[in-house]
Amino acid sequence: MKGVILRVAVFAAVAAFILLPLAQTFLLSFMSTLPREGMVEGEWSLINYRNIAADPALTGSIVNSMIYVVLNVVLCIGAGLPAAYALSRYRFVGDRHFLFLLLAFRVTPPVVLSLPIFILFANAGLVNTPVGIALVHCLFNLPIAIWILESFISAIPKEFDETAFIDGHSLPSFLLRHLVPAIAPGIGVAAFFCFIFSWVEVVFARILTVTAGKPITMAINALFGFQTDIGLVMAMTVVSLLPGLGMIWFVRNHIARGFVMRA
Amino acid sequence: MKPYRNEAWLLMLPAAAVMAFVGVIPLVAVFNYSLHDIFSLQDVHWVGVEWYEEIITSSRFHASLGRSLLFSAVILLVQVPLGIGIALLLRGAGRWAVVVLMLVALPLVVPWNMIAMMWLGLIDPQTGIVGQALAAAGIGFDWKFTALHTWVLLVVMDTWHWIGLVVILAYAGLSGISPDYYRAAAIDGASRVAVFRFIELPKIAGPLGIVLLLRFVDSFMIYTEAFAINAGGPDMATHFLAIDLGEEIKGFSYGSAAARSMVYFLIVITVVWAFVRISGLSRQEERR
Repeated sequence: MKGVILRVAVFAAVAAFILLPLAQTFLLSFMSTLPREGMVEGEWSLINYRNIAADPALTGSIVNSMIYVVLNVVLCIGAGLPAAYALSRYRFVGDRHFLFLLLAFRVTPPVVLSLPIFILFANAGLVNTPVGIALVHCLFNLPIAIWILESFISAIPKEFDETAFIDGHSLPSFLLRHLVPAIAPGIGVAAFFCFIFSWVEVVFARILTVTAGKPITMAINALFGFQTDIGLVMAMTVVSLLPGLGMIWFVRNHIARGFVMRA
Repeated sequence: MKPYRNEAWLLMLPAAAVMAFVGVIPLVAVFNYSLHDIFSLQDVHWVGVEWYEEIITSSRFHASLGRSLLFSAVILLVQVPLGIGIALLLRGAGRWAVVVLMLVALPLVVPWNMIAMMWLGLIDPQTGIVGQALAAAGIGFDWKFTALHTWVLLVVMDTWHWIGLVVILAYAGLSGISPDYYRAAAIDGASRVAVFRFIELPKIAGPLGIVLLLRFVDSFMIYTEAFAINAGGPDMATHFLAIDLGEEIKGFSYGSAAARSMVYFLIVITVVWAFVRISGLSRQEERR
């Protein structure tokens, strides 16, 4: 009984702590926060959301963000899956160094590499396009994808592969037809983490969009000015949370499993 | 035992190519810049290690380094025990565990530049829920000019942002423990502390290592949130390493910024290397 009370109390405190800033944002997003004709400041209204829908710069930024995030997830899973399979099943020259490299780049702060990446991408014509951002976000997402996928693949016994090869499957056909379905939850979890880390990243997304292709985060920054419509900013923030919320719901039962490491 | 096959590199090619393009090449470029004085991309002079000498001997760098280390230490001391505590309570909470996990994961999906904004709105004495409550209670929370309050705000905000990661990873480790262990411990009459020390801690050590590493590096290099709160103020009190670097890049002092980047990279790499050493790349070794 004492345990139950403790649990309820702690969970309630955690919920309050987590939800408080979100609640404030949510409430403000439904308020008219600028003096407008026929409206009292602080009046409940959907005007902020209507303003978002009416502003092509804002709706466009949502589309831009979605494009590079989805592209990034595809890249990370596409390049990560074969690598994770190789690391899980074989030893080879430099495998440990490669893992160290992944770890090193995962934890390298973006601001450290931002300058040369801008110059490199400008020369390669990858500035102002979603492709550039999708690519550069692989710096920290590809390692995550490889780790998570590797741990899921290693949980599958090797006999599973051998049976498929005896049945005459080639390696690509085995990867696509057998391995992918077998580790579907792992792909879901990897996609989840790649999605959210790419969605929330600001430094690279800012420097790689000089004139066009602005992501949602930069569109929100651009809303600050002489007379900031806080309600609109908050509404945009709420919109920016929706894809993440969807992803959380999507992987809710597997979210912790991606990291079950066999010690 | 895994077979030794160098052909496996063929499978690694796509990943290796991407990492080379977005990681290795830029890193080599930073190293190259760091040895030059760069006025513009056409006007570049070799200066050798001058930038490094300047940075390493400057008292400003030492002060920022000290602040960043202190910040990381506080963050780890707050978030790791708190996260483990919540994860321990989650074990055996049944379906509520999923609800709480979803809840603590929420802040992870908030774009980073929005986090500071949400919190500043929250503590605004006129319009914020918490700000109004604090004002009503007569507590003056002066995050703009009182260093301690800025720090408190940063730590609370960062905890809000990242506690989910600690909880998720700790819970992942805990959920791998078979109930038999707990039954055996109950039969032996083991204390709660002993259960944690000898059953739970070894099991979460792996994920916990990752948590420590990620939380250390991210808090050590905090930029977006800290800058948005008070731009390093008041009076440099929250002027962390990454903010120094951001200022130099904004000031177009690229050679010096590159050298600073390399210094930070070396610090981070040293920590990663130590981490890998301590965990002995153990998982890899044992599996073989």
